Amino acid sequence: MAVAADVAEPMSASGDVPGPAVRSRRLRPWKNPWRRPWILEGFTWLYLVWSILPIVVAVIFSFNAGKSQSVWQGFSTRWYWGNPLTSVFENPQLRQSIIQTFRLSVLTTIIAVPLGVAFAIGINRWRTRTATTFNFVVVFSYVIPELIFAVAMFFLFTQLFTSIHLGTAAEVLGLATWNFSWPAIIVLARLVSIGPSYEEAAADLGASRLQTIFRVLLPLLMPAVFASAVLVFASVVDDFVVVDLLSSTANTQPMSVLIYSSTRGGNSGPALNALATIMLVFSFVVAIFGLVAYRWMTRGERGSSRQEALTTITGM
Amino acid sequence: MVFHPREGRSGDGSTSVSRRAFLTGAAATGLAATLAACGSSSTKGAGGTTTTTQPLALPRPNDPVTWPLYQSNPAIADGLQPEKNATLKLFNWVAYINPKVLKDFGKKYNCKVELTTFNTMDEALAKLRSGQFEFDVFVPTVDVIGQLVASKMISPLNHSYIPNITQAWSAFQNPFYDQSWQYTVPYTIFTTGIAWRKDHVTEDPYASANPWAFPWNAKYKGKIALLDDAREGLGIGMLKNGITDLNTSDPAQLQTATNSLLELVKLVNLHIDNNDYSSIPSGQTWIHQAWSGDMAAAQNYMPKGTSVDVIGYWFPPSGIGPVGNDTMTILANGKNPVLAHLFLNYLNDLNIALENISFNGYMQPLTGVTPEVLVQQGILPPSLTSTVVLESMFATGLRELELSPALGAQYQQAWLRVSSGV
Amino acid sequence: MSVESRQGRWADRMQGRWVWAGFALPGILWLIFLFIVPFYVVLSIAGGELNAIFQSPEPIWNPLQWTGANFVAVFHDLVGQTAFVGPIFLRTVVYVAVASVLSLLIAYPAAYFVARYAGRRKVLFLVLLIAPFWVSYMMRMLAWIGLLQTSGYINRALLDLGLISQPVNWLGGKPMTIILGLVYGYIPYLILVLYAGLDRIDQRLLEAGRDLGLNRARTFWRVTLPLSRQAILTGMLITALPMVGDYFTNQMLSGAPSTAMIGNVINSQLNTASQQSKGAALSVLLLVVLLVPMLYYVVQTQRASREAY
Repeated sequence: MAVAADVAEPMSASGDVPGPAVRSRRLRPWKNPWRRPWILEGFTWLYLVWSILPIVVAVIFSFNAGKSQSVWQGFSTRWYWGNPLTSVFENPQLRQSIIQTFRLSVLTTIIAVPLGVAFAIGINRWRTRTATTFNFVVVFSYVIPELIFAVAMFFLFTQLFTSIHLGTAAEVLGLATWNFSWPAIIVLARLVSIGPSYEEAAADLGASRLQTIFRVLLPLLMPAVFASAVLVFASVVDDFVVVDLLSSTANTQPMSVLIYSSTRGGNSGPALNALATIMLVFSFVVAIFGLVAYRWMTRGERGSSRQEALTTITGM
Repeated sequence: MVFHPREGRSGDGSTSVSRRAFLTGAAATGLAATLAACGSSSTKGAGGTTTTTQPLALPRPNDPVTWPLYQSNPAIADGLQPEKNATLKLFNWVAYINPKVLKDFGKKYNCKVELTTFNTMDEALAKLRSGQFEFDVFVPTVDVIGQLVASKMISPLNHSYIPNITQAWSAFQNPFYDQSWQYTVPYTIFTTGIAWRKDHVTEDPYASANPWAFPWNAKYKGKIALLDDAREGLGIGMLKNGITDLNTSDPAQLQTATNSLLELVKLVNLHIDNNDYSSIPSGQTWIHQAWSGDMAAAQNYMPKGTSVDVIGYWFPPSGIGPVGNDTMTILANGKNPVLAHLFLNYLNDLNIALENISFNGYMQPLTGVTPEVLVQQGILPPSLTSTVVLESMFATGLRELELSPALGAQYQQAWLRVSSGV
Repeated sequence: MSVESRQGRWADRMQGRWVWAGFALPGILWLIFLFIVPFYVVLSIAGGELNAIFQSPEPIWNPLQWTGANFVAVFHDLVGQTAFVGPIFLRTVVYVAVASVLSLLIAYPAAYFVARYAGRRKVLFLVLLIAPFWVSYMMRMLAWIGLLQTSGYINRALLDLGLISQPVNWLGGKPMTIILGLVYGYIPYLILVLYAGLDRIDQRLLEAGRDLGLNRARTFWRVTLPLSRQAILTGMLITALPMVGDYFTNQMLSGAPSTAMIGNVINSQLNTASQQSKGAALSVLLLVVLLVPMLYYVVQTQRASREAY
């Protein structure tokens, strides 16, 4: 009908632009509030490329056949294995740094996570001013610049606790303190979101305090504990300032310090790229493992999703 | 100079507060009181085991010093066997010893050798002083030996383990800085001059009126570097201004040198690093204050296709420039003193020395190490014979020597100003 | 209820307190001995003296005997005739400010896009955003060192495009390199915080804005931005504070004193025996300067978590 034809969007047979009456009712494309944000998306992709591409290039250069970090001279795995002086897995100094990084990460995680979890549980329940003060201290330790903290640690081990020499022991103690805030804060947040209801229910059902803790609370906290363990591990793999100031002989130098001192000492080369790639693989493996485990642990929970897992794994 | 009675410092570098005393204090004020009590109680013990109360002797070529030997820091006994299943720990400059030499030593004496490196002498001393590390062998410059002896960080040597000393130049068998070589054996000898890239820099220091001012050239902004060493850096500042006493205590001279350096930092966007051995060959810097040995070894770092002839090294033909030598010492808290002695002996053997020189370029003061031998064996490129260090140079050359602690602190402060830039 | 059960519950509650205190105790002791005490040590050194041979630090443990000598020395380094730390501090402030603002300008749109418009591809974007977080700082710096070398791809690209005629010495002490290095290094933290903050904004608030007639720009300005203010402030703090203590970025990407930051000064001082006491004093001063922003952050997060209680 003529009226309906007027209201609908008539296209002339040749597909021309509709007549004036219809054009005024159609929104300008750029005024459509529901249009796709091309600019923003383009910008985001640009950011992602800028963010990720240099790393990819660096990884590729770890397979450079030549000695250069910037000029590609062919593919080779010489920086990984095959040459006792330059290969990461065969040069004792380079290989030792990998072992040291791994050792520091494991030891620090083993110490910091239980300590932080227990602390979080205690602080959450023991509502006194002491508790809030120390909660304050923990957040303070999270936000302080690492250099100032490392300076304090350096002086601690060289002037006061001198029986703990600089080296692996000092590094682990320093790292555990530095990373203590991760499990403390994450588990505390999780405790807050869990609330007291589960424990009260357990108590009503006649469970003793210890039973409640070990059979109700800890299983509920496991995902957060796990996420914080993953974070601590990766944070230690990456850590530089604390270990730089607290390291002593060559065999207590983890990968990060070795890369730094080699670059500063003019000894740069694709071997460092290889070392850094190994660090990257470490971290990624741990992250993926953590992600998968976290998702499996929180399966069926309200609000669990891949997004949720990703943000928790990064501590946000 | 009177020492403060609080300086109860025993040889191993630990401080006056014992850990147990610390832990007995509970509350903060109690803590402080306890700590204060600990501090004063150590004063009573200060008299016995500590450093001498005389000021540090400052060795000079015309004022040689025999270091005291301490009861509490004796040399090892004769005729001991090398330690078994040991790891010899060496604390040395970066890229300053041939890894092959270390490996061969390890094979010969059936031990492992572990090398830890440092970038500057200040850094090394700070680590040694505050880390309680267990290095066996340390390679200090001559100007810090007094501190090391006084704090008993290094042990006296037992000469029976080091027969190869006879191969060294006689001057070094009784050096002014350590008469009767009680604590040190010589390691390397070197001069400090200016290296430049002939293919990028058109000027020639040999033809300049004031060659020491060669780095003060704004044309090569961003491509000029000085050594990251307080004495060397300040030294070139002094030499540029015609000051030849590199141990001067005249504050005006120190200030002049510092001002020249600050001017240099701004003028050419100066770099400060000890990478002359790699950055001149790679072309990253075009003018670098350099050590002779680093340039002698440059052919090991040249990129493919570039001849080592593009590198020049200038040292004043008059010989009035910094000359020096490094030494090897044995640290008192090392775990392998016998192996350490054997290592010192090992490196004073001619063949081992030549092998070492082929890696790091630095000559050693052994009678068999001559320019002819070096050129003949292909260790020294003929175009860089200016890096050679002859015994005669030690007569005319300028040495950077030990300073009194207060003066040394002033030098360090001046250098910090320069190296942190303004 | 009976007396026994009431007593039982009271006893239970009393026991409860100590159980929880017991849980927290190891952590508290750890923090005391390895976080609070070290700062006391730093103060003791900063207020201490110098050993006569090595000029190395001699701590004075009793606060009543602390001297101001090191602080006076640091003060002279900061202002006055022989000052050299003052200009470096100012330079650090400038670098950090520029780098932070730049980071915000880059991170916000990206975070905004992923939080609000990513739709079905949100997880993909999130993974890509998070990936650099797991790449170590050293690797990220190495990546840029490789690209910025004289023969690296950046110079080659610029030469090919004809934008420059000679290779630029990016790693030769250029402030821009350092600033961009700082941005590159710390932006992942900022972007994650912003994402988390923006993600939490209720979609319905935005729709309400639209319903009330705000167009896109206005909605952003009057609804989104104010709601994300907290995230912006927190994110900036988490980004800017670590930058202040950074010294390795400058060492790796420049190595020239002309771009040195205050972290470099402190680090050099720690490596020189006669300067360690001054290093301690300078660290104390830096801490005092940064105390206000740090306390702000702590108070904000405490408040936020209390609201969530």
